[in-house]
Amino acid sequence: MTWIQPTSVDAVVRARAENPEAIIVAGGTFLGILVRAGMLEADDWISLQDVRELTRLQSLGDLSIGAMVRHRRLELDEDVRGIWPGIAAAFRAVASPRVRNVATVGGVLADADYASDPPSMLVASRAVAEIASVRGSRRVPIEELITGHYSTCLEEDELITRVIVPRPQGPAVYRKLRTRSQEDRPSSSVAAVVHQGTVRVVVGAVSDRPHHFADLCATWRPGNEDSAREIGAGYAERIEYIDDNRGSAAYRRRVVAVEVRRALMQVSS
Amino acid sequence: MNLALRVNGRTIHADVEPETMLVDVLREHAGLTGPRVTCGVGLCGTCTVLMDEQPVSACILMAPLAQGTEITTIEGIPEDDAVVRCFDRHHAFQCGFCIPGMVLTGRAMVAEGHAADREEIREGLGGNLCRCGCYLKIIDAIEEAAQ
Repeated sequence: MTWIQPTSVDAVVRARAENPEAIIVAGGTFLGILVRAGMLEADDWISLQDVRELTRLQSLGDLSIGAMVRHRRLELDEDVRGIWPGIAAAFRAVASPRVRNVATVGGVLADADYASDPPSMLVASRAVAEIASVRGSRRVPIEELITGHYSTCLEEDELITRVIVPRPQGPAVYRKLRTRSQEDRPSSSVAAVVHQGTVRVVVGAVSDRPHHFADLCATWRPGNEDSAREIGAGYAERIEYIDDNRGSAAYRRRVVAVEVRRALMQVSS
Repeated sequence: MNLALRVNGRTIHADVEPETMLVDVLREHAGLTGPRVTCGVGLCGTCTVLMDEQPVSACILMAPLAQGTEITTIEGIPEDDAVVRCFDRHHAFQCGFCIPGMVLTGRAMVAEGHAADREEIREGLGGNLCRCGCYLKIIDAIEEAAQ
């Protein structure tokens, strides 16, 4: 068994290209649960803990979040809270401070766990992932990055290096519905972000991946309760829901209609 | 792999597989039994330790990730610590099983100014479960320690 700690992105992607079976460890919260439960075994690990360049957080123009930036830092950073309040709120909603102190931005996206808080807000905020490999780098909108349950469009030699979030021009709201306890995952995760008079509503945690329906959003009349209700009903109708411990499919269909309506009214005021 | 970890101000050495969790290294190689394994998924808080002053779940943290950090367990907290004294004064425990995690989480909240009111304390303790149900007294204790 090997555990290596490269100190640069170049060294990480080289190591991964040479050994695609090796598992990349970022914060390790998700992997830790899988390993402890006996659901994941590996001979080789590539840890990102010593890759300093992945811990950069820059907020001068667009928000640039290194893949190893911890949830807690986004929750508490003054610039993020002031300029990207939706992003700060979505990362603050995750689990407990113990998890947020360790879990990373790259990790939550690469895991593509349907029941995470940040993906809906990142999609609503038009965030883009920068991805590196020995073959070069490319940018992929988060909307296209997450393709289904625990699946992404990442090739096996690729690494998410940072996430770029455009500077918002309007209000943003994150609504997490908890059905059990405070540190629980969302039963539904609704993000609404207004940009130049149009809204992007994204619903996560109720099916295999976050959902955004641009045609429904295009009908939005800000501040109009009927318009918000119709869009909520449209989202509720179109999504194919899952049953889990946090809510049945039928329950989720009902609450998504309400949560989308409330989110739209909140970004109106 | 050979690990050298800084725990409570001293260095401990352990020869373990990379996927060994920090809590097991602390308990089995360092004899520190304050951090406990209960839920095993980072939810209940009995395995809480501080990593560079920040609370983390040691039951789901692969031990190599703790290299280069300062780990503090309840054993590393002085007996006359202000938060410990407040827990004592408010009798904020019954069986005591969750208390190492409660005290360490409370200390971090107080140190960082995230214990301004009862609501904030409640939220900060959201991931620490007490099956005896001593929450009100635990919140009282942290509230007083923060003043």
